[in-house]
Amino acid sequence: MEREVNAYKCRKCGTLHYPFRMVCKNCRANDYFEFDIEPLPKRGKLLTFTFIHNLPAQFEVARLGLGIVELENGIRVTGQVDIEDPTLGMDVVGNVEVVRHDTYDDRYGFVFRAA
Amino acid sequence: MRDVYIIGIGITTFTRLEYPLSEIAAYASMGALKDAGVTDVDYVLVANMGSARINNQSALASAVVDTLSLTPAGAVRIENGPASGASAIKEGFMAVASGMHDTVLVVGAERMREVNNLEATDFVATLTHPMAEYIYGVTLPGHAAMFTRLYMEKYGVTERHLAMVGVKNQNNAMLNKDAHLHQKITMDGILDSPEAFTNNPWVAEPIRFFDCCPVSDGGAALILASKEVAEASGKPMIRITGIGQATDTLAVHERPEPTDLMAVRIAAQRAYEMAGITAADIDVAELHDAFTILEIAESEEVGFFEKGTGHLALERGETAIDGKMPINPSGGLKGKGHPVGATGVAQVHEIVVQLRGDAGERQVKDARTGLACNFGGFGNNVVVSTYARED
Repeated sequence: MEREVNAYKCRKCGTLHYPFRMVCKNCRANDYFEFDIEPLPKRGKLLTFTFIHNLPAQFEVARLGLGIVELENGIRVTGQVDIEDPTLGMDVVGNVEVVRHDTYDDRYGFVFRAA
Repeated sequence: MRDVYIIGIGITTFTRLEYPLSEIAAYASMGALKDAGVTDVDYVLVANMGSARINNQSALASAVVDTLSLTPAGAVRIENGPASGASAIKEGFMAVASGMHDTVLVVGAERMREVNNLEATDFVATLTHPMAEYIYGVTLPGHAAMFTRLYMEKYGVTERHLAMVGVKNQNNAMLNKDAHLHQKITMDGILDSPEAFTNNPWVAEPIRFFDCCPVSDGGAALILASKEVAEASGKPMIRITGIGQATDTLAVHERPEPTDLMAVRIAAQRAYEMAGITAADIDVAELHDAFTILEIAESEEVGFFEKGTGHLALERGETAIDGKMPINPSGGLKGKGHPVGATGVAQVHEIVVQLRGDAGERQVKDARTGLACNFGGFGNNVVVSTYARED
């Protein structure tokens, strides 16, 4: 099964949220569970990026790429960037894979590569 | 609302301190109590971010009030990320302004060097969004780096400007005996010479080692008091004229304009409105330069310079101690150090030293008004406060 990262769509006004919220930031609808789950698209543009050189112990790499991507539907996400020499504005495509090994769990999230 | 004054200040040296966190807080507090000439207070606020996680001690305020033999005064720990210090000052202000208390001790303290640097960086990173940021390995240097890249692209800020902030603030720290870094740095040593990038390696591209504040232990304390208590103390009358606080989205990627520090701008507007002043009325400022880019960006958002021109004012020397708008004469977080919970209190400590005229070689001439910007999260929880000397 292909894994997804989900956005949350308000049932009252249709505003899409990522990350999750309990109350809609647009219409402030205050009903429990008033969001529909909607998988985020995978393609987008790289808005900014960095390579981090001092990482917490769980990351067994010397240098980790991270960036902010604006996806096709306009929602922005943070993710890992597996691109040797990225440029601002380049087209990228995300895959959902293990991004962090915690003590009890593997954490899944976006890893972006050149489209 | 009653007027609130600062009648006492105390601080520890910012460095690696080999004694317990509660004693770091108590040491700074003793200095403030002694400076104010008081032995008792009504209420104690302890600003700290990490005691339960990195020092294995919760309920820190109970330990501090006991160490100081101030029981049975009320005592509360304030945890609000890197803005804990100014948040505690705000709570102390409200306690005196409301008439509930006459004398309040506000102390900020952190002991980060009890763990290694990577653990300290990871601990601070826990303030990011748990599912949308933290899991990816985002650290605060990482956020600062992604922000810096956009600022460079949009406004023409270069590595040279970043290095200029670092050189200015570390050299100011040379004039501050309590500062963490007493290491004079030059543009040649960190940017221009062939060895520069060996001295100054990447932390998170495009920011380098000397763009980042050190990881410090330390404490700073203030005594806040009503006008009656302040007048009786005989100390210089330094009033808290305005405090503004504002928040922004927890996940940085969600902001409509990622180079915008909305919470800084709104917090400053709220402080100015409360004080009945504008940015042009400020004589000296302490800004939250955990990373060099933040001094430039905050100097714009608090209204000292137009958006996108802070680096040009820096180039012209306007932010130097003898410039038109002196910023971080203490050395800032960059030079003085950044024990997270203590920082917001330490910034105001420096403003009081400056307004009292006690800053020695780093004294800003004729300083009568000051501003402090304590930046929490990556700009998601910010407190800006303003001060004036009235006597």
